[in-house]
Amino acid sequence: MNRGAIGVTPRPTQLADESYLEFITSFRRLAIQEMFPKVAEHGEVALAKALENGDVAAPNEGDAISLGEIRKVFGQNPVTPTFQRFVRTQQEMMWRRTRESFYRDIDNVMAEMDEAETAHPERIHIDPEFVEPDYTRREIHCQPGGYTDDPMGGIVFHYGTKVFYEGFNDQDELHIELAEKATKPADGVVNNVLDIGCSIGQATTTLKKLYPEAEVWGLDVGKPLIRYAHARALAHGEEVHFKQGLAEESGFADGQFDMVLSYILFHEVPVAKMKEIIAETYRVLRPGGTFSIYEFPSNDKNQVSASHRFLIDYDSKNNCEPYSPGFVAADFRGIIEEAGFEVEQGPLLTNPFLQSLVARKPA
Amino acid sequence: MDQKTDIEVPAKLGDEIGGAGKAYFNDVVIDNILDALLELSAAVWTYHDRVNVLETVLAEKGIEVSDAIEAHLPDQAEIARREEERAALVQRVFGSFVRRPTARGNSINPSPATGDEQ
Repeated sequence: MNRGAIGVTPRPTQLADESYLEFITSFRRLAIQEMFPKVAEHGEVALAKALENGDVAAPNEGDAISLGEIRKVFGQNPVTPTFQRFVRTQQEMMWRRTRESFYRDIDNVMAEMDEAETAHPERIHIDPEFVEPDYTRREIHCQPGGYTDDPMGGIVFHYGTKVFYEGFNDQDELHIELAEKATKPADGVVNNVLDIGCSIGQATTTLKKLYPEAEVWGLDVGKPLIRYAHARALAHGEEVHFKQGLAEESGFADGQFDMVLSYILFHEVPVAKMKEIIAETYRVLRPGGTFSIYEFPSNDKNQVSASHRFLIDYDSKNNCEPYSPGFVAADFRGIIEEAGFEVEQGPLLTNPFLQSLVARKPA
Repeated sequence: MDQKTDIEVPAKLGDEIGGAGKAYFNDVVIDNILDALLELSAAVWTYHDRVNVLETVLAEKGIEVSDAIEAHLPDQAEIARREEERAALVQRVFGSFVRRPTARGNSINPSPATGDEQ
């Protein structure tokens, strides 16, 4: 039943599952890389025409065109709902089959995580009294049980995101890039590193490889993810600490960390929580410490195109991203600065959709 | 491994995937046909892939099976098994027509959402 791994990614338990999920990966590439650009191009041209002939009222100076108008104009192209149908359906197909496949091997998967906990209980930190707040218990990306409520959520998330990344992160390539590009403090001292919203610890484990002398922690609200991350780090021979907890109430000491990293965390929390998380990160960083942030784009200065706003709006409503519209509309950089950080543009990523910021706690 | 877990396994898919589903066309049949098309394509590829692997494995063992496949006649047990698998394929390919059998706003079944109601 266990068919081994594809490098560092688990292999589905049956050939039929693997073929089916590989088909979805190929289809997803077509939908995202070839179909969406057509929808976007058609929509942008139609919107420009609608503005020109007055069918859509031009926004006031400094205001963005309303999402309602964008949706209306983009929706006039019948390929738009076709794209929406395809993307939603492939996502549902992916979760169903991924879950079905790995659930066949549930006893072994659970046993491996149990054995990892028994072998190194000092590196996995789960408070039995911890209760996941309601806002975290969403089926983000439509994953059944979300990050918190499916004991098999770790391995299901791992393979599911392999499909999501269209095969470009099979060997953690993307997470390796994030960790390698994380900004060090100006004095170069890196003894303690924290990855908030670490999920299954792909970047966390890489940070340990990059900073072998440092104590590296991953923090996430999802117990199934933390348990899987711990077992995976052990399998990779990396000594990483994983903790179930809230990034807004982490329990770490003041100034404990030299570097903190977050990858696409903030669009998955309400704006009020985002502010709390940023304040908490400021607290746990030492003076001169750095916070590397990779995130969805912000539209605080109307810098996001209509087609990308359309895509994010669609994604929010159809891929269970309840908090991303609030995030995109917020003045993200301003909120980080308000917390006391000095913010600058971070290193550019291979994925140009994401923004990259470095926030420094003044020395 | 004999060790059994004492963790309760959620048997159901969540509301997102297990619910009434979303529709993007005024004519929900178009949604259903597109779902069917995707499942059908995935199934075609899956079987094609399996035959590829099968032929490769057999060739590695020096076994030529093409003629034997054409000459093979199933017994009752095999007929029943194949029928069951075929029914499962039909369910998978055409399940969307059962899930969203009506247009939006029809009260016979839970109405699929467009995603724009929020």
